[in-house]
Amino acid sequence: MTAQALARDDLGALFDALRAEGYRVVGPTLRDDAIVLADLRGPEDLPAGWTVRQGPGTYRVERRDDEALFGFAVGQHSWKGFLFPSRERLVEMRREDGALEHRPAARDAAPLAFLGVRGCDLAAIEVQDRTFMRGRHVDPGYDARRRAAFVVAVDCLEAGDLCFCASMGTGPGVERGFDLRLTELGPRFLVAVGSARGASVAARLPLRAAPAGDERRRRDGLDDARAHMGRTMQADDLPGLLFGNLDHPRWDDVAARCLACANCTLVCPTCFCFSVETVSDLSGTEARRDRAWDSCFTVQHGQIHGATFRPRIKDRYRQWLTHKLGAWVSQFGVSGCTGCGRCIAWCPVGIDLTEEVAAIRATSRPAVAMPPPPAPAPAVREPMVPATARVTAVRRETDDVVTLRIAHEIAFRPGQFHMLGLPAIGEVPISIAGGDGRSVDHTIRAVGAVSGALAALEPGHALGIRGPFGSAWPLEACVGRPVVVVAGGVGLAPLRAALDTMAARPLDYPSVRLLYGARTPADLLFTDDLQRWAADPRFAVRVTVDHAGADWRGDVGVVTRLITDVPPDAVALVCGPEMMMGFSVRALCAAGLPAERAYVSMERNMACAVAHCGRCQLGPYFVCRDGPVFRFDRIARLFDQEGF
Amino acid sequence: MKPRLAVIKLASCDGCQVTLLDLEDELLAIGEALDVAHFTEASSRFDPDGPFDLTLIEGSVSQPRQIPIVRHARAMSKRLVAIGACANTGGLQALRNWANHEEYLSLVYARPEYIETLAESKPVSELVPVDFELNGCPPDRHQLLEVITAFLVGRRPNIRSESVCLECKRAGHVCVHVAYGIPCLGPVTQAGCGALCPGKRRGCYSCFGPRENANTGSLADDLERKGLPPAEVARRFRLIYGWAPPFRAESARREKP
Repeated sequence: MTAQALARDDLGALFDALRAEGYRVVGPTLRDDAIVLADLRGPEDLPAGWTVRQGPGTYRVERRDDEALFGFAVGQHSWKGFLFPSRERLVEMRREDGALEHRPAARDAAPLAFLGVRGCDLAAIEVQDRTFMRGRHVDPGYDARRRAAFVVAVDCLEAGDLCFCASMGTGPGVERGFDLRLTELGPRFLVAVGSARGASVAARLPLRAAPAGDERRRRDGLDDARAHMGRTMQADDLPGLLFGNLDHPRWDDVAARCLACANCTLVCPTCFCFSVETVSDLSGTEARRDRAWDSCFTVQHGQIHGATFRPRIKDRYRQWLTHKLGAWVSQFGVSGCTGCGRCIAWCPVGIDLTEEVAAIRATSRPAVAMPPPPAPAPAVREPMVPATARVTAVRRETDDVVTLRIAHEIAFRPGQFHMLGLPAIGEVPISIAGGDGRSVDHTIRAVGAVSGALAALEPGHALGIRGPFGSAWPLEACVGRPVVVVAGGVGLAPLRAALDTMAARPLDYPSVRLLYGARTPADLLFTDDLQRWAADPRFAVRVTVDHAGADWRGDVGVVTRLITDVPPDAVALVCGPEMMMGFSVRALCAAGLPAERAYVSMERNMACAVAHCGRCQLGPYFVCRDGPVFRFDRIARLFDQEGF
Repeated sequence: MKPRLAVIKLASCDGCQVTLLDLEDELLAIGEALDVAHFTEASSRFDPDGPFDLTLIEGSVSQPRQIPIVRHARAMSKRLVAIGACANTGGLQALRNWANHEEYLSLVYARPEYIETLAESKPVSELVPVDFELNGCPPDRHQLLEVITAFLVGRRPNIRSESVCLECKRAGHVCVHVAYGIPCLGPVTQAGCGALCPGKRRGCYSCFGPRENANTGSLADDLERKGLPPAEVARRFRLIYGWAPPFRAESARREKP
């Protein structure tokens, strides 16, 4: 096909054609002495004759000596603001007279045409597609907006001061993924069609055959841009390299400069973390869950009741960089960096990730192996909208722990969890402590506002339930082997369904040893179950407490003291506080158990539970998706790492 | 029975109480949900004895006579929430904490012997434990409503300790620090204001005080690199929230010759 061109003076026809096809046109425009992305009326709103000069922590617009319409590098805004708005309503809820209603919030998916998408930014959109559209759970709002969006890409024939798209393989040319592509060549644009929708718009344009040599001028321009990138970064080996250097002194060095202000993450076109906020009226009748852009640089990102996982700025910068350039590959099969340079320009103190990476590389220890991304799974839609269920029975286990039986027909695997919520109060992850297909049991300790309100529910009360989510105890791998179960405190709850399964299948599980530790005899959970299991000749049950009165006849001391004589072919299932799990697995390994036959159940800040909000990350994993149950050797490196 | 609300004032400008009155659309609903037992600014009803389910306390402890008021408020309140810069860190009047108190008194007042003040303007939390601190000079009315709503329905208030930068970027404001070279304390300041000043092309002057984990040293270094003399950097950290420990320490560091 002959190359086609659109005269610069005819660019208005593109706006007309896009509007005729139903699109609202958004793109770059000069506003407040910066080039921002906003609604465009026509070509007159494009920043003709403007460019930008950028450095670490600085950005200034300048006049060019020509009238180029796209002669500038990317600015603070990215297209993420349109596809993944900074605030979005997710779920609306209503509670009245004991009835509870959950419904998805209304969504605005008016089709947008993105005019002037650079290679790095188109790659960034495709990176976010993997988070919100290509995993097991599909974000319906993002999905609708993305499918409706029309992409007019623009080649970069000049590189910016902070660009390194050539290093990341995302630019400077745009070769695929667009509906239309423009290459600005002085008085005309070379036009390429990339889709049927693009062809339909192109058919409305006064295109002419491009002069001979325009294709060559495009290639030369791209070569020139590639040769003049403001930054470079060797990226292919970064996942293993960064995770092999979690103790590198450079993390302390950068932490002294880093403000943890989160600007890098919010201007990043691929960063996807969000918080889920519960909002309500004064009476709690009308409530909703909203999301807002969040960042791994905030304390709330890595915080649950009673634990702050990344208290220091060092922990947060390291989380960001190891995720962006490393863990992302394990999570989504692609780097989280597209080389756009925004994080360098918009860092108030000018921290340059290419410099930080180079400094780590210069004195690095060897790389480590990283896990591959998960296999594709069938998509589930509306993952954030809870089902309404009712409590049918409440059993008080201890002073501050109850077990709710909830009528809910669902299949689950022992070890998985549900998100349980109340409209005006919030939602928390709670492991499944048992179930029979018609109902599920959840054992809840009242520690915070949400768990306290859940623990106060009575039979007949309604609540919201989502799930089940996450990985399960490896009960099939345990078949025919001795099983050692080590539980601490409420950590027995996520193991209860597994223990019941083993109790119900005597031929598969010939020997089960349960070692259970609690603070005091009054804190012991499931005392009926403990007696039932202890009565089974295949089970050996040992219970220990930290403190006890004179009438206690069992063991006193930490649970790890009970870990002796571990059969060499055993499988161990461990659940409790993180510290207790660490000591337990160490004791099991010291007793001869290989780490790949020890399993632990992890807890992090699970807010969405569907691997979208990014808050429960543990190195290359999402605890909600790849956990909560992990084979110990897969996370051993992170387990003892402070601040992960 | 409706939960009883008290709004108490110490040394302050009353702006925090006015913020509550600014909740015009919600005021009737608040009045219906709560029994307003005591509200210095808004009501002639005077019931300081309690008990109260929720007490909002405004102002710093600046006079000896305020000490028993604070102790009484704590003893009589199920939940005590300190609102505003004064109640939480001593406020603007804590600027006197750096000066000679006796000298000030004789300079300002014709008859200083009638004045009974403490040498330092103190936050409420220095005298009694508080259940929640809502920051801002004055606090944001939406955040104040959130604190009241959260109390009524029994959730944790959704008040984040993040930097102003997050609100600024969510709003799409162009960064004044990076794009115009305007010194901005947003990166070390707690969000909640809605990034009002940067949205009007002004630097943040931290009327919400230090955020969690504020790296004031790195920002101060950057302000000096951008040409501000150390004394001017010190002055910026010694304003409304100057007595807050991270800002106090930073201004002391920059003040040294």
